[in-house]
Amino acid sequence: MHINVKKEILGSGPAIIGFVILLVMIMAALLAPLIAPYDPQQQSVSSLLAPSMSHWLGTNHVGQDIWSQLLYGARTSLLVGFSVGALAVLFGSICGVSAALIGGLYERIIMRLVDSLIVIPMIIVIIVIAAYIKPNILVLIVLLSLLSWESGARIIWSQTLSLKERGYIAAARSFGARKSYLAWRHIIPALGPILLVDFIYGIRRAVFLEAGLAFLGISDPATISWGMMMRDALGFSYLNVWQWWLVPTGIALSLTIVGLTFIGHAVEPIIDPRLRGAEVA
Amino acid sequence: MKAIIWERLLFLITIGFVLVGCLLLLFTSCSRDSGEMQSYTIADNTGDWGYPSPYTHYSRGPGYIMMSFIFETLVWKDAADFVPQLASKWEYHADENAYVFRLQKDVQWHDGVSFTAEDVVFTFQYTKEHPYAWVDNTIVKSVEAVDPYTVKIYLSRPYAPFLHDVAGTQPIMPKHIWEGVDQPDQFTGPEAVIGTGPYTLADYSKGHGTYLYKPFDMYYLGKPAVEEIKVVKISAEMIPAALKGGSADAGSIPPEVVSDMKEAGLSIITAPVAWNAKMTINHKKSPLSSKKFRQALAYAIDRDALVQITQRGHAVAGSPGMVPPTSAWYNPKTPQYRYDPSLTGRLLEELGYKREGAYFSKDGKELRLELMTTAQFKDVGHFVAQQLTEAGIRIDFKTLEAKTVDAKVAAWDFNLSIYGHGGLYEPSVLNRVITGSGFNSARYDANKTLNQLLKTQITEMDPDKRKRIIFEIQELYAEELPALTLYYPQWYWAHDGNIDLYFTRDGVASGVPLPLNRMAFVK
Repeated sequence: MHINVKKEILGSGPAIIGFVILLVMIMAALLAPLIAPYDPQQQSVSSLLAPSMSHWLGTNHVGQDIWSQLLYGARTSLLVGFSVGALAVLFGSICGVSAALIGGLYERIIMRLVDSLIVIPMIIVIIVIAAYIKPNILVLIVLLSLLSWESGARIIWSQTLSLKERGYIAAARSFGARKSYLAWRHIIPALGPILLVDFIYGIRRAVFLEAGLAFLGISDPATISWGMMMRDALGFSYLNVWQWWLVPTGIALSLTIVGLTFIGHAVEPIIDPRLRGAEVA
Repeated sequence: MKAIIWERLLFLITIGFVLVGCLLLLFTSCSRDSGEMQSYTIADNTGDWGYPSPYTHYSRGPGYIMMSFIFETLVWKDAADFVPQLASKWEYHADENAYVFRLQKDVQWHDGVSFTAEDVVFTFQYTKEHPYAWVDNTIVKSVEAVDPYTVKIYLSRPYAPFLHDVAGTQPIMPKHIWEGVDQPDQFTGPEAVIGTGPYTLADYSKGHGTYLYKPFDMYYLGKPAVEEIKVVKISAEMIPAALKGGSADAGSIPPEVVSDMKEAGLSIITAPVAWNAKMTINHKKSPLSSKKFRQALAYAIDRDALVQITQRGHAVAGSPGMVPPTSAWYNPKTPQYRYDPSLTGRLLEELGYKREGAYFSKDGKELRLELMTTAQFKDVGHFVAQQLTEAGIRIDFKTLEAKTVDAKVAAWDFNLSIYGHGGLYEPSVLNRVITGSGFNSARYDANKTLNQLLKTQITEMDPDKRKRIIFEIQELYAEELPALTLYYPQWYWAHDGNIDLYFTRDGVASGVPLPLNRMAFVK
């Protein structure tokens, strides 16, 4: 896989914009305790206030500072996004690489599992499970990861099948290299760019799902989430508070997803070189 | 030549339009002069409440209201008291434990058949076989027609809220239609909506959630005030805009738009509070089985602040006796447990707990409780969890899907839970929600005096004596605290004043807190 990821990304304008957006969001999330003027959970009698110098985006229905909530919401979104992205890549790599290297019955079982997970509508399964487990943030991360690794696993599996026929890997095998050694020393490093694409799409999917579940009321009430903020704001849509409550939250969520999509779009040709179009030709 | 013909034709057409316009204007002003309102639209955010017949309307307040425009009861209520309806007079005979009702003589069913005592006798006999969801059919022992316009209803036991719960709630049905109906819940033909009420059903759409009522011109208590009543489905968020725009005449509104509606010239009416959100406590499980422990929890929750913050002031702070302070049955001496976290600490120390750091503990075990509720009470739950935490009790707060919460509470698989119920007008509800077996009951029978008082209040026919018993119940319930009422939300309706809407005393029938009393729509 002779692909220069850095070149792929830096060569794309939207990808740079995506990176800037993501960087801003990450900074907001990391610095939230320092830059948020209020405890985002602190309720007060000053409810539904319009934006002012003391509350930049006003306050919500229970007097919580919306700007502080927005910053802490970024933490939840990105924490869930990055964790699920990483875990999904981990599960996908373990299953995809091991299935391709071990083969036989094990490969058939893993790949049929992947097939069945692909056809099950994930969002419905998550809603049903989450409605009963009522996930805290940790459970949510594990749940989303367990249900979103399959598409990555299929790509990794097919790429590993192709890689293991390469000369240098065949050479390593002829010298008696064990499968775990092959996977760790040769396959995984060669899969690096694909894992990156899978990771970015994983983050995007998880950010969207986390917000969606919170919007549906399926989330930990103690965790501030953009989805929950939008749900609360919609309950007061008959007032003009939507301008500084619903709109900024929607913009923050959309920007994060757009940023990730831009990056993903730039690196997508890694897994599908046909997308490179004229450049390849 | 052609031009002249065209000119004349055009002139005639213009004259024609002017004439039609004048006639229309005349017609409109005539109908206004006669004071007849053409149409009255009620906005409802749910829409479908079932076919408006006694056995097919949904068993919720608005379902009853939709049926009540068509079917009437023996007695009714207005804003102040009981008023005659199908019965013009009534009296109670204590020696026989029976009520005698003198019926109105000029009442007709919507199909023209005369209403008589036989219809009342039939209705109560029919409900013995086919219980009507809103009335306990065991209260009435027997009914007899003394003459064609007098009925005597014998009660199976003395029952204080008889007029409220039975005579004022049971819709009377026409014998000549219902005597052949074996499956009343399947009976949805046009005959199923023949009543004696001021309005008849002209159209019902389950899919669209709409009702259209037309006046019954032979109505015996006056003339229906509008040419038609429409009930249309409008989402809660859109009702204020519909009212301001004139596409609806009345509807419930969120508290936050009250001043906006007033500015728009609409009238605002407020229901006397009758619904409570409460924290129910698993009194079967240690340490919550201790009365002192439950009282310690009550001192840790500032109910006034809770109202100001989570309800933005649009509620009344809860009384630990459950009966709202605005009720005629409210006992002002009910223990209140005013917010005082230091008393929480003292009571917990008396129970052997010690505060080490942020939380209390006993025998090396941290005091930790789980608080669960539904997304509806997320903010209230958050407030309560925060206050209990500050008082030194570690709270694991979670919101669950409503049915899961109900199931867990029913199975006693919980510590603390927040949910709500209504019906706090007539004190007979206390029996259902203190010792009753439903999941929204505290299911508390550990105090024998309280149990006895609850039984007695239902059978005490002397209103003064009954009031004293209810006062005592509130004091005992507040002392035992199997659940803590947190607040009673304030509900608002806005209307354009074309009909003088009002909230019925103790709610429509057995306690529906809606300002849609059919008698408001009768002149």
